[in-house]
Amino acid sequence: MGSQGGFGQSKEFLDLIKSIGECRSKAEEDRIVLREIETLKTRLSSPNTPKFKLKEYLIRLLYVEMLGHDASFGYIHAVKMTHDENLLLKRTGYLAVTLFLNEDHDLIILIVNTIQKDLKSDNYLVVSAALNAVCRLINEETIPAVLPQVVELLGHQKEAVRKKAVMALHRFYQRAPGSVSHLISNFRKRLCDNDPGVMGAALCPLFDLITIDADAYKDLVISFVNILKQVAERRLPKSYDYHQMPAPFIQIKLLKILALLGSGDKKASEQMYTILGDIMRKCDSTSNIGNAILYECICCVSSLHPNPKLLEAAADAISKFLKSDSHNLRYLGIDALSRLIKISPEIAEQHQLAVIDCLEDPDDTLKRKTFELLYKMTKSSNVEVIVDRMIQYMISISDNHYKTEIASRCVELAEQFAPSNQWFIQAMNKVFEHAGDLVNAKVAHNLMRLIAEGFGEDDDAADTQLRSSAVESYLQIMGEPKLPSAFLQVICWVLGEYGTADGKYSASYITGKLCDVAEAHLADDTVKAYAITALMKIYSFEIAAGRAVDVLPECQSLIEEMLASHSTDLQQRAYELQAILNLDSHAVKKIMPMDSTCDDIEIDKSLSFLNGYVQQAVENGAQPYIPESERSGMSNISNFKSQEDHESSTHALRFEAYELPKPVLSQNVPPILASSTELVPVPEPSYVADILQPAISAPSASDAGSSELRLRLDGVQRKWGKPTYSSPTPSTSSNDTVKIQNEATQRDSVGMSNSKTRDVSYDSRKQQVEISPEKQKLAASLFGGVSKSDGRQPSSSQKISKPQNPTSDKSRAAKAAAPDTASVKTSQPPPDLLDLSEPSVSSSAPSVDPFKQFEGLLDLKQDPTPVSAGGVGSTEASDFMSLFTDMSLNVPTDGVLDPMPNVINGNGLGGITAADHSVQQLNKGPNLKQALEKDARVRQMGVTPSGQNPSLFKDLLG
Amino acid sequence: MIHFVLLISRQGKVRLTKWYSPYTQKERTKVIRELSGLILNRGPKLCNFVEWRGYKVVYKRYASLYFCMCIDQDDNELEILEIIHHFVEILDRYFGSVCELDLIFNFHKAYYILDELLIAGELQESSKKTVARLIAAQDSLVEAAKEQASSISNMIAQATK
Repeated sequence: MGSQGGFGQSKEFLDLIKSIGECRSKAEEDRIVLREIETLKTRLSSPNTPKFKLKEYLIRLLYVEMLGHDASFGYIHAVKMTHDENLLLKRTGYLAVTLFLNEDHDLIILIVNTIQKDLKSDNYLVVSAALNAVCRLINEETIPAVLPQVVELLGHQKEAVRKKAVMALHRFYQRAPGSVSHLISNFRKRLCDNDPGVMGAALCPLFDLITIDADAYKDLVISFVNILKQVAERRLPKSYDYHQMPAPFIQIKLLKILALLGSGDKKASEQMYTILGDIMRKCDSTSNIGNAILYECICCVSSLHPNPKLLEAAADAISKFLKSDSHNLRYLGIDALSRLIKISPEIAEQHQLAVIDCLEDPDDTLKRKTFELLYKMTKSSNVEVIVDRMIQYMISISDNHYKTEIASRCVELAEQFAPSNQWFIQAMNKVFEHAGDLVNAKVAHNLMRLIAEGFGEDDDAADTQLRSSAVESYLQIMGEPKLPSAFLQVICWVLGEYGTADGKYSASYITGKLCDVAEAHLADDTVKAYAITALMKIYSFEIAAGRAVDVLPECQSLIEEMLASHSTDLQQRAYELQAILNLDSHAVKKIMPMDSTCDDIEIDKSLSFLNGYVQQAVENGAQPYIPESERSGMSNISNFKSQEDHESSTHALRFEAYELPKPVLSQNVPPILASSTELVPVPEPSYVADILQPAISAPSASDAGSSELRLRLDGVQRKWGKPTYSSPTPSTSSNDTVKIQNEATQRDSVGMSNSKTRDVSYDSRKQQVEISPEKQKLAASLFGGVSKSDGRQPSSSQKISKPQNPTSDKSRAAKAAAPDTASVKTSQPPPDLLDLSEPSVSSSAPSVDPFKQFEGLLDLKQDPTPVSAGGVGSTEASDFMSLFTDMSLNVPTDGVLDPMPNVINGNGLGGITAADHSVQQLNKGPNLKQALEKDARVRQMGVTPSGQNPSLFKDLLG
Repeated sequence: MIHFVLLISRQGKVRLTKWYSPYTQKERTKVIRELSGLILNRGPKLCNFVEWRGYKVVYKRYASLYFCMCIDQDDNELEILEIIHHFVEILDRYFGSVCELDLIFNFHKAYYILDELLIAGELQESSKKTVARLIAAQDSLVEAAKEQASSISNMIAQATK
């Protein structure tokens, strides 16, 4: 071997990897890597380094960067190496640049020329290497430089090159669709390529294209169906088989494409039914890949024009998935179910128990998927349970990304299906309390609007009740520490508007509370602004009602503090408040009309009411007003666009004051505050910005007016009572609670399963008598209450599941037995390893600890055994065993999948697993030998023996 | 589309990374840290899928190595799981019962194989045989080049003696 180690690397490289592998701490590793970086720096830049050495240094550099260190000093050497004539070096160079550089890196421009040359090479391997680099490195600007050559390569004689050329073109399309739009027909052509690999590759870009515009490719439906048929009939070369399935990856891609093409197109769908049915029938549901195809079929069926037979087959497949022991399959089952319920909502009911099992599973992934399903099947009858569950889960997790998502889903569902005001407000309180800062600010404003507008019907009593229940709950909740800012804003706004509206609470009580809020959140200007505006509203309502206002001392001090605030917004609000306090009731009534948040305010955007004033001023010799667009963009035609921008920006909120006229105006107009609100429209586009910077919205004297404007103009469509997806039940059209009652009876007559939508508790109690488990109750409330026939169904399924238990026990026994025999067989290797390891272990015992720490942390059972040959053997053996049990799991699991021939399966299981093991044993034979050889070689080289990380040498495929 | 491929050992050491979407070095480190925390701590019988920042990460453990691929929301998880297995089978065939050590010392070869399997985040070739043939062709050519190079350097060495 000489200087070369057993893995074709130099001793130095082996040593580097060895020492990094033996590091005890990150700091030690960093030290070694930094030393290595220094070495590489000097060696790479030295002119005398031989080229083949350079190649190794580059690979070492790759290794260093993989460990997370900066290797940018060597990028240029990688680029240089791509220029090399020698293929060995060139290939390494290309590998290095594709790993080092992103497509926007400055060095790319230095490679383009080489790539161009290499694409023309006679050697197809050079061309392939260049095409690999093209896919990774060519950006929008450099596409034209290589495009002609890539297109030419589409007709290359080697299929490997054609394939890569197709993929490169696909990449170009993703990067800059415009640059290759004239070449799209090439993808169609490649579909007829002789080589299945090229055809398979062409499916990727076609999938993208069809996603964007399905209509342009309807003519290909027949071709795709034909290809799929041929694939399913095993017409492709044997080498495309994977685990006895004919070209499964191509099948899946084709199914995805068919789903797109058949969606909403009855004619196209009809062409696909036969082949889909065939594939679903043929699918081998005992292998992973078979299930992958089956799942893709379900997805396809659910997007096609509905076909009862296929839907039935899909439902069957789903129930197999859901009954499986494998989490993966249950996950897919839940996902498939959520796709299918769009078409046939009733299928969810058969699986309610399975769904609830998934919901209560400790696996987060499965749980989230189940929430997604629940989200899709929410109706007004089950919204309470679902949203409650979601909120519970939301509170329990710390992943902000998902928390945000689930919070906004809760809000959406609650808005759409809320059965009562009380519940709605409480649900919202919980969401805001725990995720207030994560949800979109829009959601908070939606909530305010909902409270302000009520249900939008003429039912004033209900609206008032909604408001007072909101006020009440907020007064309770606002004492709690650490409420999110968005929630406090809502609270302040609602208290300001409706705190004293029903006369239950005195003005001084509410104002006291508001002051507390403002004082408790000194750092939060937004909350303070909301609080002071709320104070202003309450005082002016008091004044308007003719009552004497007594400003609490803490309010007084708060106002004084605000008057001197650094924030001009707060200052202005405080001054306005002071001004209002000194006005008489008549004036106040005008500027702060009671409960006027929902009134429309007409906005005269052209400010025509000022015409007379302007006229007068001009007559008095003032300069006429020149629009800003004319002032700034006078000369240039190229400014046309920016002028338009100005146009739109004049509609948007303006942050800076108008130049001169403003002070004049405000001097003249102060008493007519009501009309001044018309000057301050808060238009739609700036809505969000407005929320973020409430400072801007302040200038209007009447904040009630302006906040009302926000509510009016935010452009958010009303969602209350509107369904997300159309379910056949008429209940979704319900617009208020009163109706829901009626609807319940209506639905009864329709013959849907649930007889009492609102009386869920009653319903579930009844079931509890029938079948006691808690789950049943949950199922009942989730799935709209199980009617009697349904009630029987789960119980019967329970009965079925009982006889299932012995079989599954049996299977478990078989499982247990199988690994035992397996472990007997597999325990042969460890002694071998032992023999080998004994000398080296004893020799290197002092230096062997590095992984022990990790082992101790990760795997307690391995820890107690001291580092000895015996320990090695036992860990080895146990790991092998666990691996085998993992492997053998698949088989019995899928056996249980079959609901019908349970007993037969149970009996057959032992045989199957045994057979399976013997097959593995056969495969294992040579592998073990190889592994041992490798092991021996590694030990010769002096790499740490397996005591610390036994699996380092372990065959990955087990 | 596959956004990246990640191989991490049970101890959290990175064995191979391939990025098909642009990530800066900083983001890469962060992604690796986040994901290894997420995946290495998962129990053995749970799903092989993790939802992560709006993407899905499909992972599978082989002996001491975790193979992870990050995909879009609407991709078929089970298919990706099989692509991972496909990759491992090809590695196994190439290295002859592949173990973690093979991938540590020959990570660049693993990259070459991955490049024949995936390109631009899509599966480009699903035939094990074709991939094996291409890699073998590259290797033989490389061998030839190596011999050539060494003979040339020998000649030079002799000439300069």
